[in-house]
Amino acid sequence: MQPRLEAEGVALFALSYDPVAVLRSFADKHGITFPLLSDEGSHVIRRLGLINERVQEDHAAYGIKPDPRHSNLPYPGVFVLDESGVIVGKRFHESYRERDTGAALLAQTLSILETRPGSTAGAPGHPIQVSAWLDSPTYSFFQRMHLNTELRMPPGFRVCAPPAPDGTVPLTVHVSEIPGVEIGAVQWPAAQPGRVPGLDGLISVHSGTIRGLVPLTFAAPPGGGDLTVELTVGFQCCSDSERLPPSSVGLSLGIKELAMVDRTLPSRQSA
Amino acid sequence: MPLPPRDFSTIGPREGTRFPDIRLPDQRGATVDLHSARRDRKALVVFYRSADW
Repeated sequence: MQPRLEAEGVALFALSYDPVAVLRSFADKHGITFPLLSDEGSHVIRRLGLINERVQEDHAAYGIKPDPRHSNLPYPGVFVLDESGVIVGKRFHESYRERDTGAALLAQTLSILETRPGSTAGAPGHPIQVSAWLDSPTYSFFQRMHLNTELRMPPGFRVCAPPAPDGTVPLTVHVSEIPGVEIGAVQWPAAQPGRVPGLDGLISVHSGTIRGLVPLTFAAPPGGGDLTVELTVGFQCCSDSERLPPSSVGLSLGIKELAMVDRTLPSRQSA
Repeated sequence: MPLPPRDFSTIGPREGTRFPDIRLPDQRGATVDLHSARRDRKALVVFYRSADW
């Protein structure tokens, strides 16, 4: 992915508290040529205010034993700089629970610039187009990401938002169970009041283009291999004059496991 | 219980400001001045846990 970044004129730097020798062997092992900066002693991390002071407290909350390696860690995340060096974007995460390893973080960071491979389908007899994609084409142990689901409705059409009144079917996303993957509840934007033919008054509807987010946490031990995320989007669509029968669209998305180097992760006794 | 999520907009350098000057050794031991090494390109600066564990 680095050649792609270079082709787009984007420089990449990664910073950790590892000594130079550790970074050298990591770079050699993975063929990394962009700068892995060594902030041994975490002086820069501290000066920038990025020390994760809460990591030990958080670990205690999860029943993880104190570990000296957890001192002076940065929050994991990325700054996006423009040509003049001004910060134009910033994505940070709380801790390992959301973002596991450097490699995984890099993969997700780089995917910001990737065109996201996804899947799109229409429903027979319906004017609505449904698309889905994952935040990242790869996952690694204890990575969290979102399944993005987008509905595009032409002008004049809408779908019933949950909870839908009797006689209508609300918008739903059902993700088939995947061993080792925790599937969270879908989050939709706020619905608007609208009219549905055959119903009195205003009910909650969505219109235009809306996107729902389903949190996925890849919690199985490393070695899970490539997975398929299968989802079904159910909805009932109507126009100003007509209420169409309920419909559903099934989509399927592949995701590859990002091979990890040997690493031990803190045990997690409760969550 | 997990701690409540934080607001990262207030942690570390803010959006809209110039990224601080940093000079650190890279994996070959060569000192890298981040803004010089960017050579007027856009950049991603990634902070991560460790390459070692």
